[in-house]
Amino acid sequence: MKSSIRGHYLAWLLLAPTIAIMVAFMGYPMLKTIFLSSQLTDLAGNPIKFVGFENFIHLLKADSFQTSLMVTLIFVCFTTILTIVIAYGLALLTKDKFLGIDIFRTLISSTMGVSVTVASILWLFIFNPQSGLFSISLKTLHLSPINWLSDPLWSLIAIIGTTTWMNLGFAYLILLGSLQSIPDDLYRVANLHGASWWLTLRKITLPATKPTVFFVSVVTLINAFQTFGQVDILTAGGPDFHTNLMVYAIYQDAFVNHNVGRASAQSIVLTFIIMIVTLIQFWWRQKRQGRSK
Amino acid sequence: MIKKMSQYITLATVLGATAASVVPIEAATHKRQEIVFWHSMTGQNEKAIQRVVHNFNNSQQKYRVVSEFQGQYVEALPKFLSVGGTKKAPDLFQSNEISTKQLATSGMIEPMQTLINKYHFQTKGLQKNILNYYTVDHKLYSMPFNSSAPVLYYNKDAFKAAGIDNLPENPTFEQVTAAAKQLKAKSGQARLSILPYGWLFEELLANQNQNLVNHGNGRKITATKATFNNQAGENILNWVKTNADNKALVDYGTGANAGDSELSGFTSGQIDMFMNSSASLGSIKKDAKFNVGVTYLPHPQSQKSNGVVIGGASIWQAKGKSFKAQKGSMAFLEFATSAKTQAQWSVDTGYFAVNKKAYQEPILKDAFKTSPMLAAPLNQLQATKLNIASSGALITSMSKERINVQNAMENVTNGKSVKDELKKANSQTTRDIKTANEQTGDQ
Repeated sequence: MKSSIRGHYLAWLLLAPTIAIMVAFMGYPMLKTIFLSSQLTDLAGNPIKFVGFENFIHLLKADSFQTSLMVTLIFVCFTTILTIVIAYGLALLTKDKFLGIDIFRTLISSTMGVSVTVASILWLFIFNPQSGLFSISLKTLHLSPINWLSDPLWSLIAIIGTTTWMNLGFAYLILLGSLQSIPDDLYRVANLHGASWWLTLRKITLPATKPTVFFVSVVTLINAFQTFGQVDILTAGGPDFHTNLMVYAIYQDAFVNHNVGRASAQSIVLTFIIMIVTLIQFWWRQKRQGRSK
Repeated sequence: MIKKMSQYITLATVLGATAASVVPIEAATHKRQEIVFWHSMTGQNEKAIQRVVHNFNNSQQKYRVVSEFQGQYVEALPKFLSVGGTKKAPDLFQSNEISTKQLATSGMIEPMQTLINKYHFQTKGLQKNILNYYTVDHKLYSMPFNSSAPVLYYNKDAFKAAGIDNLPENPTFEQVTAAAKQLKAKSGQARLSILPYGWLFEELLANQNQNLVNHGNGRKITATKATFNNQAGENILNWVKTNADNKALVDYGTGANAGDSELSGFTSGQIDMFMNSSASLGSIKKDAKFNVGVTYLPHPQSQKSNGVVIGGASIWQAKGKSFKAQKGSMAFLEFATSAKTQAQWSVDTGYFAVNKKAYQEPILKDAFKTSPMLAAPLNQLQATKLNIASSGALITSMSKERINVQNAMENVTNGKSVKDELKKANSQTTRDIKTANEQTGDQ
């Protein structure tokens, strides 16, 4: 009995620094955000007046917020799916060892080492309406020009493409590691039984990498929700809010329009959305696991 | 044991040496009063501002101005607002024209007028219409420093090659449209850029003598409504639409770097006409390898040109600084707005000299002789009628207005209706003005 209490003390003592940091840097800002979301704030962000849910009501009524919410969901969906599918495909291609494979692996994972700003500026050149790679290619093929960064549809596609490219390196590296950890014996047995490549993929490779795919999808999804730099540099949320992803909209409201109350309300909405989506992912995974047992 | 000893000795030496090297520097700086100055200049203009600071520091022994780049205007303003009123606030802060109302009412700055009265500073030498912009309720709130106005730049060589006459000094929308059409016919490519940018819309509106918001552009009392849903607003969007329909318009979009892309598009010969601040003159002069034409900002044929609003930035004094620091700030501002400094600054950057006497300085006189393109912006400024429209709007929600107008311009380029978009932008801006007025407490 005695030793268990002492054990608890020790546990608390060891946990204390972590708890202190969590409270200071996560708990407090979160509570403050909740508080500010119910306030009218002055231009420096100080609360002036309690307004209840007015900030939220205003948000739900605003066209710009609806557009922003819709494009965020489309963006997150496509970015996550594309990243995982392409990274998985590339990992499968480079799974086995052959001459020069390290060069390919390095090249593919190299996007990890590129900062968001550098990558965005690189893509800005590619999307340039006059001298960009895409514009020149279209012209050479005698196709009509596309305004990559100022057409409502194409600009969203451009941002999705850019972000997928940026996320690829990380997703690829993790998935490659997971593929390589599958025991070779399984494939040898499958080969002996004359299983097709497709059947091997479906019955051995995919199930064995499922936990990793799940991990990568959660990380990519949350990352996608937090996309900021490429939006700022490529489109600044335009045209007409069609690439105004939520984190960017929050930044605009808080630091450009100086309306911290509204920005806080938006942050809370975003937190809830990420929470719900992550919960769905976990629930779905548990259901699948339950079934396979 | 000996090994440990030697380790201790090494450590002590290193620490001692570090401490010793810090001490003399500290001692040296303590003699001079430090004035921290936040600015937002980049590229050519950053070099030029460092030159101003450097020259000031060498000109006297009492003060030392420390200039710090704090990101572009949009980034620097929230930084200032978050440290304003505390010890961390800089003494001097450069901010762009549209933050005037916001800073003036923030309670974090000392109105320039107070210091002017206290230290008997003379503003008589400064340009009247530039002072007008930063004057609220007959009080000068910040010191004009880098002022500019929008102009139209074009490639004279490309015009010649296409067999088009040069644009007149004060061109119309129609003349620009005709030239853009001919350039397109000749090269098969769009050669005109009208950046979807709220500032440009404001200027084109002022040039038609129309106010952006009510209550005397927000200068009499706080504005409550946007007033640009009218013929003048339509003229602008129709002009954008006509050029987009002619497929003569290049759209650089709305990203943070769109303006830079447009500028480098021009200097590298990919576009032949665009409108931007006269502050780009410095870079254009340096980078363009062709004959550059500069004209006034265009106006519709049906409307006489009224002139443009002063853009650029001014320098603000933070509240709560010591007597000595304030005195140093004023000494620096006096130096920075002097005829000599402003002449050099204007040559380096393309900003107007805010001091009238600067135009008598040999360096600026020579510059006008060698590059005649400097003349158009100044002529335009002098031809500008001094009225409410050309004084510019004062509202706190200027950033929102810019986004609304920018969306309208972008949507019209993408084929949407001029009337609907203008109406939408106008009513959204009115809503944003109301929200901002609630925030600042004046309704």
